[in-house]
Amino acid sequence: MSATGPRSVSADHPELDPRLAPPFPAAALPVLRNAQLRKNVAHATDVIQGKRNRLVAEKADWTQLRDAASALRAHTLEHLGEYLAQFEERCTAAGGVVHWAADGEEARAIILAILREEKAAEVIKIKTMTSAEIQLNPYLREHGIAAHETDLAEIILQLGAGEPSHVVVPALHVNRAQVREIFARTMGLPKLSDDPQELTAAARSYLRKMFMTVPTAISGANYLIAETGGVAIVESEGNGRMCLTLPRTMITLAGIEKVIPRFRDLEVMLQVLARSATGERMNPYTSLWTGVTPGDGPQRFHVVLLDNGRSAMLRREVERQTLKCIRCGACMNTCPVYRQTGGHAYGSVYPGPIGAILTPQLQKLEHAQTLPYASSLCGACYDVCPVKINIPEVLIDLRAQVTDRERANERRFFDPIYVGMRVANWVFASAARFKLAQRAARIGLWAFTRKDGWIHTLPGTGGRWTMTRDLRGLPQQTFREWWQKERGR
Amino acid sequence: MTAGSRQLVMDRIRAGLSGISDERLAGYAAVPRTYRLRGALNAETTLALMVERLREYDAEVVECAESALVSTIAAEIAKSGRRVLVAPAGLPEAWLVDGVEWRVDRGLQHEEIEQAEGVVTASFCGVAESGTIVLHHSQSEGRRVLTLLPDWHLCVLRASDVVETLPEYFALCAHPPQLATYISGPSATADIEMTRIKGVHGPRFLTVVLIRDETP
Repeated sequence: MSATGPRSVSADHPELDPRLAPPFPAAALPVLRNAQLRKNVAHATDVIQGKRNRLVAEKADWTQLRDAASALRAHTLEHLGEYLAQFEERCTAAGGVVHWAADGEEARAIILAILREEKAAEVIKIKTMTSAEIQLNPYLREHGIAAHETDLAEIILQLGAGEPSHVVVPALHVNRAQVREIFARTMGLPKLSDDPQELTAAARSYLRKMFMTVPTAISGANYLIAETGGVAIVESEGNGRMCLTLPRTMITLAGIEKVIPRFRDLEVMLQVLARSATGERMNPYTSLWTGVTPGDGPQRFHVVLLDNGRSAMLRREVERQTLKCIRCGACMNTCPVYRQTGGHAYGSVYPGPIGAILTPQLQKLEHAQTLPYASSLCGACYDVCPVKINIPEVLIDLRAQVTDRERANERRFFDPIYVGMRVANWVFASAARFKLAQRAARIGLWAFTRKDGWIHTLPGTGGRWTMTRDLRGLPQQTFREWWQKERGR
Repeated sequence: MTAGSRQLVMDRIRAGLSGISDERLAGYAAVPRTYRLRGALNAETTLALMVERLREYDAEVVECAESALVSTIAAEIAKSGRRVLVAPAGLPEAWLVDGVEWRVDRGLQHEEIEQAEGVVTASFCGVAESGTIVLHHSQSEGRRVLTLLPDWHLCVLRASDVVETLPEYFALCAHPPQLATYISGPSATADIEMTRIKGVHGPRFLTVVLIRDETP
């Protein structure tokens, strides 16, 4: 479907399909040059982080909750097949229909088939990153079905033809003046002011009619409960409750990793999620439903369980951690890289540190290979992660895999980096060669070393290093030489 | 198509996890639950916290004795100036006070609910730490749509049903509910420049009538 070819990249039209997106350093440039965008991102991440830090500090048992959340997620993944089978059985018994999709293409086809059966020309949606992952909206549009987003941020993006840049606050890069312009133009409200209260009210009335009339809805899921076959969704605005309650037919698209063993486990997950995601003790609305309840809510309910590369992440313990993620977004709010580049540079619907490990793996490392390098490995993301995903550890492991792949590529044989590495390997393998190399380097670098003992500029390939960093000059004497002189007698 | 894919996905999961030895596999019981399972506050302080949290959310809180419940409901409705109200089918008869055009939910249409000015319901319990009202959508709490479309929700909460922490609520659920809604403040958004705006889609006004036990 999305074979629209490479598009030009700009701050206004980022490419979020990892197969088409430019490498991270190139994609980050338009944002780094856009002062307004950076200001918006910095403001939003500062606000959420501040609230999150205050609420985590007041929670005396935060460490214990994090331990429990982490252990629960890890345990679930280690028994994923059993819990999914249990969820399927209980959900089916409660009147739901469970579908399995091996990849995004199959999930899209399943959803389209259900909508065709419902004779749906339009569908309302609760914010779901998973549907963006499989690029559901453009697919439905191509097949004549209009998908209406109902989350305020998603409406801003949909009406303004923008792309999400954060998993919790997808439109954080858009400011009120821009929202006013989008709403005034698309809702036909030329007199609208840029007061957030008024903008929100405009969205409320714009959507109310839609909620009351569109009989089919699509949602994601925060948790699938194996014990009961129930589904839980957390939200703030109430658009979720509208979509979960008013339509005749409901389709929930969920990654296979979203399952939790028991209803009771929500006592852990809900406590860590709201605090981490929005800095609230609890999000305003949490909805939980089980299959179909006669007389209450949609009378036809489908769940689409999506693999799309997830099962391949189970194999290695380091990578498996990625699937513990509960999409709170705390890692991006704290990330010094994300805070500068915003979300679009990551070329995926999953930005920030979690995106840097999730996206390349969902792409089986065939695309998005620059993302594992979009980090300073400072570890701030690991510190705030409510399910203790050691993101730096996964980043390093993925970097190793990217490198191994490149090295195995014959065309990269004469790449200066790999030639250099092979030479270094050969030099370091023998003491005599190492000694000789040290001498040669001292002589070679002598001309570039300034009086302060630092090298500020180098020619050629070395210049790529000194472009952004200084290099310490080699000392007049190596340790081995000193040892030889002092003790070797 | 789906049957084949189920097998395919399950096979992939099995293959992915085949490397984990059985001894490595920790059971569900091994999940550490050293977090607070019980509150530390006494009943009175727990209630005070619940009220404080609700007020932080701009909910109106009115406390009354059991014997004064009906008159309190009547007074709150009168104060709100609303006349057309929805009630779940199982709401106690006495709560349907005079002077109101009641629309009792025996299969009300969405439009009828939306056009009403408010809704009166009972609740399952309250969680003080987060100021959460829990609905399990029983006969007296009503279908989910009842507490969603009207602009005002008057919710009756019993003091004895207020717990301090979330785990204590889960401990109350011997059987997991089929449906549940946890309400922690009015619907809100911070999507525009992180400015918190209340009342996006759900009821914009929440009044909680807290039934205190008769003073001993």
